[in-house]
Amino acid sequence: MSDTNSISSTLTAEQETAAARGPLRIAIVGCGSITEGAHLPAILASPEVLLVGLGDTSESRLRSLKEEFCPDVPGFRDYKELFDKVDAVVLALPNFLHAPVGTEFLKRGISVLCEKPLSVRREESVQLCAAAKSGGSVLAVGFVTRFFPSTLLTHHLLETGFLGNLQSFDYEFGTAGGWETASGYNLSRETSAGGVLAISGSHFLDRMLFLFGDVDVVRFLDDSRGGLEANCKAEFLATFDGRRLPGTITLSKTHRLSNRLRIVGEKGVITVAEGQSLSVTFFPSGSDLREEIFPASIIPGTPEQDYFRLQLEDFVRAIKECSEPHVSGEQGLKSAALMEECYARAERLDEPWCDATMQYFRRALPPQ
Amino acid sequence: MTETASSKQIRRVLVTGASGFIGGRLCEVMAITGTYTPRAFIHSTASAARITRFPIEFSIGDLRDSASVDRAVEGCDAIVHLARGEGSVMRAGLENLLRAAVLHKVSRFVHMSTVAVYGNMPPPESITEDSPIRHCDNLYGREKLGQEKRVLKYARNHGLPAVILRPPNVWGPYSHFSLEMIQKISKGTLALVSNGQNPCNLVHVDNLVEAILLSLWKPEAVNEVFFVTDDPVISWKQCLEDQAALVNTHLPGVAEEDLVVPAAERVWRESFKVVPRVFVSGEFRQQLRRIPLLRIVEEKLFAGFQSLSAETQHSLRSRLTGGNTAVLVRPATAPRFVRNGLHFTQMRRVAHSSEKARRLLGYTAPVKYAEGMANLQAWLRFARHLTS
Repeated sequence: MSDTNSISSTLTAEQETAAARGPLRIAIVGCGSITEGAHLPAILASPEVLLVGLGDTSESRLRSLKEEFCPDVPGFRDYKELFDKVDAVVLALPNFLHAPVGTEFLKRGISVLCEKPLSVRREESVQLCAAAKSGGSVLAVGFVTRFFPSTLLTHHLLETGFLGNLQSFDYEFGTAGGWETASGYNLSRETSAGGVLAISGSHFLDRMLFLFGDVDVVRFLDDSRGGLEANCKAEFLATFDGRRLPGTITLSKTHRLSNRLRIVGEKGVITVAEGQSLSVTFFPSGSDLREEIFPASIIPGTPEQDYFRLQLEDFVRAIKECSEPHVSGEQGLKSAALMEECYARAERLDEPWCDATMQYFRRALPPQ
Repeated sequence: MTETASSKQIRRVLVTGASGFIGGRLCEVMAITGTYTPRAFIHSTASAARITRFPIEFSIGDLRDSASVDRAVEGCDAIVHLARGEGSVMRAGLENLLRAAVLHKVSRFVHMSTVAVYGNMPPPESITEDSPIRHCDNLYGREKLGQEKRVLKYARNHGLPAVILRPPNVWGPYSHFSLEMIQKISKGTLALVSNGQNPCNLVHVDNLVEAILLSLWKPEAVNEVFFVTDDPVISWKQCLEDQAALVNTHLPGVAEEDLVVPAAERVWRESFKVVPRVFVSGEFRQQLRRIPLLRIVEEKLFAGFQSLSAETQHSLRSRLTGGNTAVLVRPATAPRFVRNGLHFTQMRRVAHSSEKARRLLGYTAPVKYAEGMANLQAWLRFARHLTS
């Protein structure tokens, strides 16, 4: 792992004090839906952190979250007011603000847990990693599915050759509709910086790099017409265990897909359904059997953990121990670079139902 | 209509319900053809993926909130109102929109209504839009009829240049109606009623969009109501058999009279049948006579009944008690199809005509059935609604 995000030699006096003091002083910048549904409950449930502020430009959003969760926590409409009050922040802003705002915190020695994706541009991610290095702060990226036992188990099974030689992988995720955002940032390229690939697909791009190592983009097709793609298909080529491994990703925000990862190897097929966080499913070659595989540490039927809290506490651990978080800025940079390459190579997805009848409408328009 | 309104070049168009099926297609067409600039009025950011593919303008709001409606309408030259929702959206929401349309002097207000304003069984004369609406027994149709009246009131009282379009079932890619047919046929819960001989009133979404685009600028459209349908009109037999072929499924048939009355309707019907029997029964009257006031009324009524001839008494008693009606029991193994939804719709005998839209708007219904089916099939495969 690169040392871009290493903090061992540059721990500030302020951080040393923070580490010794006990609970870390933390704030959330950006009070949208993910904060309300995940980050705020995780912070309030964890003894490792002390929530000292909520930041958002919307007064009504601040008021609403404070009333619901934490009436005594002060709200800030300008994130700069938090600079001297916190050791760390959870950055849950629209994607286009990750780099400019995150950099401001990191270079001041304030650690950042940045919502995914770190950015959709390599350059911005490099800027964030550099700011973390110069400020001696931790940069973690909120790819929460990496904390699923099923992700770690899949990685382990691949690394130990459970499937034999790998032949292919494919991942699909599609829903009729997307994420309801409080700010509406997901409506335009300027604020979202990407469509279904950036919003839904970035989780898997990160997991793909984690599972198979570096990959090349072979082809990327999407249905963007100058806006945000709602559907896309990507072909990749990885090199795993010295062999070429082709893979595909299909994503949709207009319709449901099979919503699972499938890895085909010579000894069988592994599938991990979306949301299947504790186990993986194995179909041995030449057999009708289907086996659920759990990590030894998990007893089937065990209730789900709060993965956002695990992610948060891993972030705190990295700050206190001056070590790497589970998903570092450097890893976030890799998936950002991959996303950027996909968009740079985008070809138009064929949509005859959209274009075939377009000729007829000219006659229905007013004479110019 | 004012001079300014008629002569003004329409550019920016507010589309309500823009993330819906018709609104989504309208925004697509406007964005691609480029003559109109759509401003998409949406209630939720979660369902707008189809139109965020285009770099168009969005306005997030609630039709029931007059301030957000006002912001959305400001700067628009015309409005296409496609949004629907609960009663408050249909009434207060429309009122807010109409008020803002007048305030901001929009040049055209295109309102989407429905042929359902004529009720579940449209009268034979409803081939044309001029035929009067006497009674609407369809809840959605009744709501839309109320909306039509509200729009026409603003046209009359405030000079709002309004156009009302009445489509039948709208089909094509992303259509809930098309998906409902396919899903029900696949599950075996949809049958062809009486060999599908009745006309299937349909309009392809692109044909409806053609009518909307024409309504936005044609002077002849103002303050008119138009049916917008496909041409030629196909039969239910063709429509449903073609959908069944898409999913490689046999389509069962059922006669109108063999359709099972829906449970809710059956409860009402049976209750109405039983109530008179209860009222004339000796036990019930005996209980009533315990109340002094009701005893006087009952005695007077009974005396009146006794004064009638024996035949009249017998006939009246038979009518009230239902006589000895035989109950038909059908074999339990026969498939049972309920007389509601798409089965009920197949019983309509009228084919609404879009002749007026052709004459005044220049509507051409350019997408013919075969072409529409080819596009629908391509989309159904892409969206994984068809597996083979």
